[in-house]
Amino acid sequence: MIRPSRGQWAGVALLLLLALFALGVPQLIPGDPTRQSLSNALLPPGGPFPLGTDAFGRDMVLRLAAAIRLSLGIALLTTALAGVIGVALGVLAGACGGWVDRALCGVADTLLALPGLLLVLLLVAIAPGQFWPLYLGVSLVLWVEYFRMTRAAALRIAASPAVEASRLLGFGPVYRFRRHYWPELAPITLTVGAFGSATSVMSVAALGFVNVGVRPPTPELGQMMIELMPYYNEAPLILAQPILVVFLLVLALNLIAGGKTQ
Amino acid sequence: MIRPILHRVAQAVLVALMVGVLTFALMRSLPGDMAWRVAAGRYGYDITDAAVMEQVRHSLALDQPAALALLSWFGDLLRLDLGVSLISELPVVDEIAHQLGASVTLALTALLLSVLIGPPLGVLAGLRPGGGLDRALFALSITLRALPQFVIGLLLIYGLAIVFGLLPASGHGEAGHVVLPALTLAIGLAAVSSRVARDATVAVTSSGYYRFGETKGLRPLENFLRHGLRNIAVPIVTYLGVQLVYLIEGVVVVETLFAWPGIGHALVHAILARDVPMIQGTALVMGLMFVLLNAGVDVVCGGLDPRRRAS
Amino acid sequence: MTVLIETDGLAVDGLDSIVRPTTLRVHAGVPFTILGETGSGKSLLAQAIAGTLPDGLAARGRVRINGRDVLGLSHADKRRHLWGRAIAILPQEPWLALDPTARAAPQVWEGFTRVLKLPRAAARAATGQALRALGLEDAARKLPGQLSGGMAQRVAFVAARAGGAPIVIADEPTKGLDAARRDDAVDLLKSGMGTTGGLLVISHDIAVPKRLGGEVAIMLKGSIIESGPVDQVLSNPRHNYTRRLLAADPAVWPEPAASPVGDRLIEVEGLAKSRGGRTLFRDLSFTLHRGEIIGVVGPSGCGKSSLGDLLLGVIAPDGGTIRRNPSWPALRFQKVWQDPPAAFAPQLTLRTALGDLVRRHGLAWDRIPPLMDRLGLSTALLDRPPGGISGGELQRFSLLRTLLLDPVFLFADEPTSRLDLITQQEIVGLMRDVARETGCGLLLVSHDHALINRVADRVIAIGPQSHLASSRLASPQVASPSLTSGDAA
Repeated sequence: MIRPSRGQWAGVALLLLLALFALGVPQLIPGDPTRQSLSNALLPPGGPFPLGTDAFGRDMVLRLAAAIRLSLGIALLTTALAGVIGVALGVLAGACGGWVDRALCGVADTLLALPGLLLVLLLVAIAPGQFWPLYLGVSLVLWVEYFRMTRAAALRIAASPAVEASRLLGFGPVYRFRRHYWPELAPITLTVGAFGSATSVMSVAALGFVNVGVRPPTPELGQMMIELMPYYNEAPLILAQPILVVFLLVLALNLIAGGKTQ
Repeated sequence: MIRPILHRVAQAVLVALMVGVLTFALMRSLPGDMAWRVAAGRYGYDITDAAVMEQVRHSLALDQPAALALLSWFGDLLRLDLGVSLISELPVVDEIAHQLGASVTLALTALLLSVLIGPPLGVLAGLRPGGGLDRALFALSITLRALPQFVIGLLLIYGLAIVFGLLPASGHGEAGHVVLPALTLAIGLAAVSSRVARDATVAVTSSGYYRFGETKGLRPLENFLRHGLRNIAVPIVTYLGVQLVYLIEGVVVVETLFAWPGIGHALVHAILARDVPMIQGTALVMGLMFVLLNAGVDVVCGGLDPRRRAS
Repeated sequence: MTVLIETDGLAVDGLDSIVRPTTLRVHAGVPFTILGETGSGKSLLAQAIAGTLPDGLAARGRVRINGRDVLGLSHADKRRHLWGRAIAILPQEPWLALDPTARAAPQVWEGFTRVLKLPRAAARAATGQALRALGLEDAARKLPGQLSGGMAQRVAFVAARAGGAPIVIADEPTKGLDAARRDDAVDLLKSGMGTTGGLLVISHDIAVPKRLGGEVAIMLKGSIIESGPVDQVLSNPRHNYTRRLLAADPAVWPEPAASPVGDRLIEVEGLAKSRGGRTLFRDLSFTLHRGEIIGVVGPSGCGKSSLGDLLLGVIAPDGGTIRRNPSWPALRFQKVWQDPPAAFAPQLTLRTALGDLVRRHGLAWDRIPPLMDRLGLSTALLDRPPGGISGGELQRFSLLRTLLLDPVFLFADEPTSRLDLITQQEIVGLMRDVARETGCGLLLVSHDHALINRVADRVIAIGPQSHLASSRLASPQVASPSLTSGDAA
């Protein structure tokens, strides 16, 4: 129905390339992204290590591929979880109105009271080094945006003559969702989902960067940057790699979301 | 005017509740004997013996069921008794009092810089949509928005401090030190606010009332000043409220990157050290700062937009 | 007589919005109306004269204002200089033309001070005087959002004229206004013109030139098909389209024949409804029979639509009772909406939407082609989305989908207020026929008294004291088998 723009296609292509890299590298280059080899520390790209090695002599190409899998995996899981919950509750609030709406809005307002990263930080502090606070925290932050956007659209759709007509013509709630709500919600869900995934990638990297996220030696983009930062002078090309990857990931997702400003 | 104030007060209470519950859960999840940790934090490691420990256990309601303990936890919070840092052994309130100034300086400088950079560029681009400046700004904005704050910071350090040696990369105390961290935050904020300003400008200049101003006979500049500026400013300031989330989150990351001795830096350190009282104190103050800044945005919005005052 | 506006071979070129070479003269003291339906190019013609054409459209030919060729003006700024000084341009929707964040008085004041160059204090005095002259003292300190539609209209009028321009160009100045406020707006324009000023009005509403007098030009598909003094053109139209347009005015529709009616369908007793603390109506009692048409009139926001929704059971009454004849299921009580595109799911083609309906109720698709025939719809339209066909066609489809369910009651909520006059006549005629042929009870809501008077068997006027104004009331006891045929079995 809605034709994607050129920018959106570019975003999809870029994301597919990154995913292909992340999934293809382990097939082509066997090895362990956490295996250290101090004699091979900070090798420049080329030779047996196509993208060079880090300060512990670990293979950058393997580490980057693993880090992208981790970032995209978390992003996919959290946006999917948040999306399903957020859209379902948003439609419920918008279509039902009344106390259901007020109660759900209350929950959303409560979560919005605290900046997202603070919430994630507090959850991570409870169980350091584990994954569940990351998933839970990021999902908690993301579902609110789905909820708010979906609810606003659902309120408008629920009040529209088209939905009233469907009800009078004898159609049930499933039909109304499929024919009236979903066609309008789908593009919103895509936009929020792409932005949400970008937020997730950024949050995980930020947590890694301040050392409270995923624990070493698991490769993670933010953590790789902080580890490589001391060597900006000796190995700028190695430090540039995780930075470039985060940039491309978020750029791809922002392009998919369209040129909008959230 | 009463409703927004009540809304912000309720928000502040919610912040305190959430931080309280989460840090309580955090305390309960700590390994080892909590009482000993907290007692040691309060009274020093040498004087902590079994008797003192029992006393602390009792006073902290650690020998009580969780619900009662939570009540007592909130009781302390209500009396603004934030306890003593487990690391520095100084009262949390004193620690935060030191750090708050640094964080507020950083946040406000960043906000000011972003307002000086973003909206003026956005308005200029919006006056000629599709023009050279508009397209360049769009490309720049989408690039910057794809960079996490710490990457913008790293690039600034690399560019300005290391290559050109213009500014100190980290540290605190001199005026020059605030420039890089504040600029890092400001660039991220301006990347978005310039787009909001651009879109608002396009919407306003193609609106019926802007057209009417022209056909009434006003000259272009007169029309822009009388009917453009205020209407463009309203969505920009409203959007500042949304951007505050980014600002507060950025403070945490950027302070860590630049070793800026503020609350965000302290929060990260406290989390690494699992210093529960400090985590609670810093998270609480950052949350309240968020609410307060939001209230400030409300006030500016109300001043700009007579519709808000009228309703 | 002084010629104020003069066009020779003025044309607008564009992709699908085109005005063919047009010649017209607007004289001082003689109002001039361009009358035409949506898409006839009348607004583009006015914009070409005023110099406010949207980007991408260009005018050619010649426009003279006060004898000066303005289309040939070398620089856009010189054209711009006419605005406010030589021509006042009244915007189409005044409530969108006032700056929403500025109070009314300064929006008028700026014309006196910046355009007319009066000193500040003199401009303030002039503003007060101009607002007072139109009874707008209370509006001065208000924001546009706090003004009623009529007040916003007058504020915009004062603001547009503050620069002292003698010629007024008004594009659809009565759009969205009910009859009383429409006449006020027209009178205001006429009195503002005086004997030396010029007035060019664009309208789709025949009532406007009728009340305004002067000259009228009828526009169709980008061309002026005839023009002349209002009396002459409207009383002795030469062009076929003009004749149809005049005949479509509800005021001249033929008187309806009194018609017998069928069984009791809905009985209403002591009905009361309020909204936002305001009583819309109370103690409303009436009975609707099969085959009967009840018209509902009243000013906008008075609760006309609420009455229909109450009868449908979509909203609940605050007091009183509504008894629907239990012989018929709720599915056979249907509704037709004011804005046709809003009443359809925008992404579905009409074939899909109707197919869904047929499948949902186990109907036969065979029933659709004859109904489309009856409603004057071509099958090619089925494969388009609702946004791809005209409002009149889509409104026929709304009627069609309700007919598939053999309605016994139809609530038509301003079904033609967004449609052109000729289309309105066709749609209302179809609805009346449906009511008579199938024995369906029709509740027809409209802001147009003339229309209701020509269609309805009885009229409910909603206002502070709602009452049932019975006109041509057929005896409700007379049940006619021929009217309740078809679906009654």
